[in-house]
Amino acid sequence: MRSMEEARIGVYVCWCGNNIAKMVDVELVTELIGKLPHVVVSKNYKYMCSDPGQELIAEDILEHNLNRVVVAACSPRIHELTFRKVLEKSGLNPYLFEMANIREQDSWVHDNREAATRKAVELVAGAISRVQYHEPLDKRSVGINPATLVIGGGVAGMSAALEVANAGREVYLLEKTEQLGGMVSHFDLTFPYLYDADKMLEVMIRRTINHPHIKVFYNTTISEVHGYIGNFETTIQSDSNQEQTLTFGNIIVATGLRPFDASRVGQYGYGRLPNVITSVEFEDLLRTGQVRTKEGNIPQNIAIIHCVGSRNTEFHEYCSRTCCQVALKFANQLRSLLPDSNIYDLYADMRAFGKGCEELYTATSKKEIIFMMFDQQHELPQIIKSVAPGDPPMLIFFREKISGLGLEIPADMIILMVGMEAHPDVKDIAHAVGISICSNAFFIEKHPKLDPVATTTSGVYIVGNCQGPKGIPDSVAQAKAAAARVLATINQGSVHVEVTTAEVNETLCCGCQTCIMVCPYTAIHYDREKKVSVVNEVLCKGCGTCGSTCPTGAIRSKHFTDQQILSQIDGLMKMALKIE
Amino acid sequence: MEFNPTIVAFLCNWCSYTGADLAGTSRMKYKPNVRVIRVMCSGRVDPTFVYKSFREGADGVLICGCHPGDCHYQEGNYKCLRRFKLMKKYITQMGIEPARLHLEWISASEGKQFAELIDSMTARIKELGPSKIKTVVETLAI
Ligand SMILES: Cc1cc2nc3c(=O)[nH]c(=O)nc-3n(C[C@H](O)[C@H](O)[C@H](O)COP(=O)(O)OP(=O)(O)OC[C@H]3O[C@@H](n4cnc5c(N)ncnc54)[C@H](O)[C@@H]3O)c2cc1C
Ligand code: SF4
Ligand code: SF4
Ligand code: SF4
Ligand code: FES
Repeated sequence: MRSMEEARIGVYVCWCGNNIAKMVDVELVTELIGKLPHVVVSKNYKYMCSDPGQELIAEDILEHNLNRVVVAACSPRIHELTFRKVLEKSGLNPYLFEMANIREQDSWVHDNREAATRKAVELVAGAISRVQYHEPLDKRSVGINPATLVIGGGVAGMSAALEVANAGREVYLLEKTEQLGGMVSHFDLTFPYLYDADKMLEVMIRRTINHPHIKVFYNTTISEVHGYIGNFETTIQSDSNQEQTLTFGNIIVATGLRPFDASRVGQYGYGRLPNVITSVEFEDLLRTGQVRTKEGNIPQNIAIIHCVGSRNTEFHEYCSRTCCQVALKFANQLRSLLPDSNIYDLYADMRAFGKGCEELYTATSKKEIIFMMFDQQHELPQIIKSVAPGDPPMLIFFREKISGLGLEIPADMIILMVGMEAHPDVKDIAHAVGISICSNAFFIEKHPKLDPVATTTSGVYIVGNCQGPKGIPDSVAQAKAAAARVLATINQGSVHVEVTTAEVNETLCCGCQTCIMVCPYTAIHYDREKKVSVVNEVLCKGCGTCGSTCPTGAIRSKHFTDQQILSQIDGLMKMALKIE
Repeated sequence: MEFNPTIVAFLCNWCSYTGADLAGTSRMKYKPNVRVIRVMCSGRVDPTFVYKSFREGADGVLICGCHPGDCHYQEGNYKCLRRFKLMKKYITQMGIEPARLHLEWISASEGKQFAELIDSMTARIKELGPSKIKTVVETLAI
């Protein structure tokens, strides 16, 4: 351990309104913790992250000459940085701080107040014990490579690329297929105003391809990205099968989603019955300007079925969010093209939310479309091919939910409103850029409300459908938001990165080089002259694997040192035994 | 009095700690016996952390990392797995039942799995009873 002044710790227990205080006796925690050695002040407050909460800490640091701070509140993943900044502003090194998670991992997950309070006391005791061994760490500032990588050339990817490029910054746009446009290139019109999809898309594609600051790579994806915010690097296999290395400072992921495979819903007969088609195929059909059955006839009876693969626990529990509006769009287009046909719309719920969409529903319902409801959870409709001569080619059997009646609908053409789901390679992308996917395989944002386009990996953003199903307006909005974030980072010129890297103590190192073998980033090399291993701080990502492997204990994982973690164990276990 | 075990858990920051947080944001309920210590990667879990926890009186120790192939640092979890097998042998020699040490992969979206894991592990440790190392340490005064 390095020479250290006597620890003077301030401890702050947050109520989080009622979120913590309801299940944890914050007064008792404050009182018990206040008795621990080195604790100079111990307080609780309604909202520690609020301005007055932060000021409370800042004032105490000055008044009581504190040199360590512990906050017991929400997860450090949410507010660790907020509180580190308070220390910094008060002249303390931000790393002389520790958080105890008594919300996400305590008050929210228990229903016994006594047990939750006890747990809080132990967690805070561990944090207090740990923070005594925290050391000031220097921030490392790294330059920002002003180029940006955008993965996916749909409306979201192109919008992001254009926004960044219009600010005069270089963009590399990778598109897996041989053309830009993504899903929208299938569409005829777009809801809710029934604008021509081609017109919008053509302009966007033309601007993208002709932009002096955008370089598009077709038939290209990524497999591995090295580096960190400001300094990423990847090698791509371009069209001509030549390898090319790209370097960039930020990444925007816009890989979209793909349509659900309708053949998985057996009773809809997709794949077996030629005139059962998906919404995407129907868009392609609309673009021909004529709606005809596979046999070339004008369909007399057309049915649209909602929620195919969505909102059903057997397939996907989530709502795909755009198909209801698309169904309304189809009903309108069908009514104009086939004024004399019967149009049935079988829905589970009509979700026409969003600007202009309820209006679209009202307008559509006046066009002699027959809307009917079915039970998506318990009784999906059944489509059969009818055999009796003179019958319409297909029949749909289902129970109308409101009346409870069993109904039978004739159909020459059935359109399945397929939901959206993740691409099969979504994990590879997540892995390459170092971000996570949720249980539905959508990429996870840093914070659903406060930071919805960023991810927990600095410099990596997610926009459009890959973050979750949504329409074009929301996709474009996210794209432009991410572009603004990227441009702000580029304008700063440099960013501070974590300095929680590994460090070799030369006197303890025996030169066995075990650490070199375990480091996944080849961040350690062997100094032949000195006969010791040396960590390259820029390459090290601070995983700590070398630290737990070194046989002589020569490696310190900064901010996660053996001593810090062992004292945390010590502190919390001592308190546990004491309370027992 | 009913035996209320203390379980020390080491969770990697990227998957497992996030998964545990998700259990909280989703307001899932689980047994209050676990005390989480955050590490950046399960590869950081030094065997001494585990031994120290038992030595200080933990009745169980849990290590959670990302699923195979998902480690934020590529393969820290594989290194952890290899070390875990050695740790099991070692604690057996210390006189601790190997079942008191458990390793599980928990992803950022597996809040439910985390909650279930804590419940099942707590039940298992309850069945084993208090760790004997406490009395060993006490009588030997080490
Ligand atoms: C039938 C149907 C009709 C719709 N109609 C409307 C409408 O009228 N109005 C509306 O607002 N919304 C509509 N939507 C929703 C619309 O499709 C989405 O909002 C939009 O496509 C989202 O754009 P995106 O760029 O996020 O994704 P996408 O359009 O899916 O584009 C993603 C792009 O990324 C590429 N890509 C994927 N993986 C990789 C990889 N690994 N590497 C490189 N590139 C990759 C893909 O090839 C694709 O070009 C409709 C959806 C469906 C299914
Ligand atoms: S948007 Fe409508 S059709 Fe699509 S999944 Fe949601 S409720 Fe079903
Ligand atoms: S593992 Fe430890 S002792 Fe061996 S070379 Fe690396 S730092 Fe030195
Ligand atoms: S902490 Fe991880 S990345 Fe850094 S040198 Fe050690 S093994 Fe390599
Ligand atoms: S980061 Fe989770 S196991 Fe390595």
